[in-house]
Amino acid sequence: MKNIIEIKNLKKSFGEIRAVDDLTFSVREGELFAFLGENGAGKSTTISIFCGQLQKDGGQVWIDGENLDENLNVIKSKLGVVFQNSVLDKQLTVYENLEHRASLYGIFGEEFKKRMDELNGLLELDELLNRPLGKLSGGQRRRIDIARALIHEPKILVLDEPTTGLDPQTRKSVWEVIEKLRKEKGLTVFLTTHYMEEAAEADYIVILDRGKICAEGTPLALKNAYVKDFIILYNVSEEQAKKLERPYLPLRDGYKIEVESVCVATKLILSYPEIFVDYEIMKGKMDDVFLSVTGKTLEGGKV
Amino acid sequence: MKQIISLTKRNVKLFFKDKSLFFVSLITPMILLVLYVTFLGNVYKDSLLANLNGLVLSDKVVGGFVGAQLCSSILSVSCVTVAFCSNMLMVQDKASGALADLTVSPVKREKLGIAYFLATELTTLIVAGFALVASFVFLAIQGWFLSFTDVLLLILDVLLLTTFGTLLSSIVNSFLSTQGQISAVGTMVSSGYGFISGAYMPLSQFGEGLRKVLGFFPGTYGTSLLRNHAMRGVFSEMQEQGMPAQLVEEVKTAFDCNLYFFENKVELWVTFAVILGTVAVLFAVYLLIMKSQNAKRGK
Repeated sequence: MKNIIEIKNLKKSFGEIRAVDDLTFSVREGELFAFLGENGAGKSTTISIFCGQLQKDGGQVWIDGENLDENLNVIKSKLGVVFQNSVLDKQLTVYENLEHRASLYGIFGEEFKKRMDELNGLLELDELLNRPLGKLSGGQRRRIDIARALIHEPKILVLDEPTTGLDPQTRKSVWEVIEKLRKEKGLTVFLTTHYMEEAAEADYIVILDRGKICAEGTPLALKNAYVKDFIILYNVSEEQAKKLERPYLPLRDGYKIEVESVCVATKLILSYPEIFVDYEIMKGKMDDVFLSVTGKTLEGGKV
Repeated sequence: MKQIISLTKRNVKLFFKDKSLFFVSLITPMILLVLYVTFLGNVYKDSLLANLNGLVLSDKVVGGFVGAQLCSSILSVSCVTVAFCSNMLMVQDKASGALADLTVSPVKREKLGIAYFLATELTTLIVAGFALVASFVFLAIQGWFLSFTDVLLLILDVLLLTTFGTLLSSIVNSFLSTQGQISAVGTMVSSGYGFISGAYMPLSQFGEGLRKVLGFFPGTYGTSLLRNHAMRGVFSEMQEQGMPAQLVEEVKTAFDCNLYFFENKVELWVTFAVILGTVAVLFAVYLLIMKSQNAKRGK
């Protein structure tokens, strides 16, 4: 798979503050890429730069083979952006909003109607089209934001904390829409998020702290590299837990045994089959990865 | 071009659908209307009659005089305050983040600027156009002394003042970016413009110093232009009814039809030229601002 986004040595400062400090990373075509970091880590600044909203101080950006410095408008037509807050016009109907936004990409008349039919099939907008945006629920508005981002058939969907402030059920429905888009359209999704559970679903994660990359990799690689695994042993006595000679924590109905890796867990199971009657092996969580890498916890990680 | 039309349509729709924006734009004309109905109309009528030295004018010409004064004032403030409120959309888009959504697309910034300008010009013309039609109806009831040329000149004045208001608001608003600034500027313009343009009270009623300062403000020339064209027929009729020419001139001066820049009387064609020149200068300034903001964009 080719790289659809390539960023090399990207730099941006605001006065003395280095918002983006020598970032280098790439995003493969079709993958769900997560940019993880607390507020002020440099996530939105990076997005603003490659969306042409902010000028960089240094470095190079290529989107789908186009250089940002040379073909900004071509790049803009390849990106669909869903902002953290809905920024469409609340007084206008959904149809009017999408019609005016489509015109920004030179989509008019029959071409627009055709595109609307496609989006209707994808996002089930039919019942919402003639309603003013301001009268829609949070989840419905998010669907319209996604429709607006897709109006010109971009190759990359940029989601800037798309579920912040939404209730769990709405977040779930937003993610169902995004998953559907990935499956049916093969879109590349560039996601920034506070929510660990969302990042854990990504194909590749970059963790940012104070403008710098402090860790990157697939969720599995990050968990293997930065956190330990656990075995939850049910219905055993403390004596049996002690026998394993590993750090352990008592639980209501068993013990949580810390192990370096699944391989070590397997060896333990084979050595003490009489203890391992009812158990499960768990990988470390992304929250623990983030804590281990940055020394901080993310608000979203608690959800 | 299609993009500019679509964006202009969006901006016009937003102005008329945003009730707060629409009603705020009508505050100043409404204040004027209330002032005239409650006391200003009578003040002008009484001050005119007090200076007639026994001469009797028909009720129709007196009604036409007060009506023309009211209509010219309302038109003068509407063209500018409505433009300011309509053009607030430009700032609202920045404050709400809508501008970022517009500029992530490949549309050129110049097109966005042109669409804001055209939408403001159009919405102001629609509102001022209604005010103009209402004024004609009102004058027809109070006392109609307008010739066909006067009507055309009044339309031209409204067009010119609308463009003046649109350009002035475009320049001021291009430096604003928050809701707080929108409120502050909106309030200042709504409450202050009627005074400094001589729409609430004729400049001749102000102190000499303030009158001289306001002589540098092009808006006062706009009000004077409208007054001259709205009242030309009334003054002719007054002379027809036996009012001495010198007294007519005094009334014209008292009610800002004759403007003075320091001690020099400003001829009507100069008044017209001042507005036209101001529009040209404001246009050039706005272009420069757009150009410099585009250059600074994103830094």
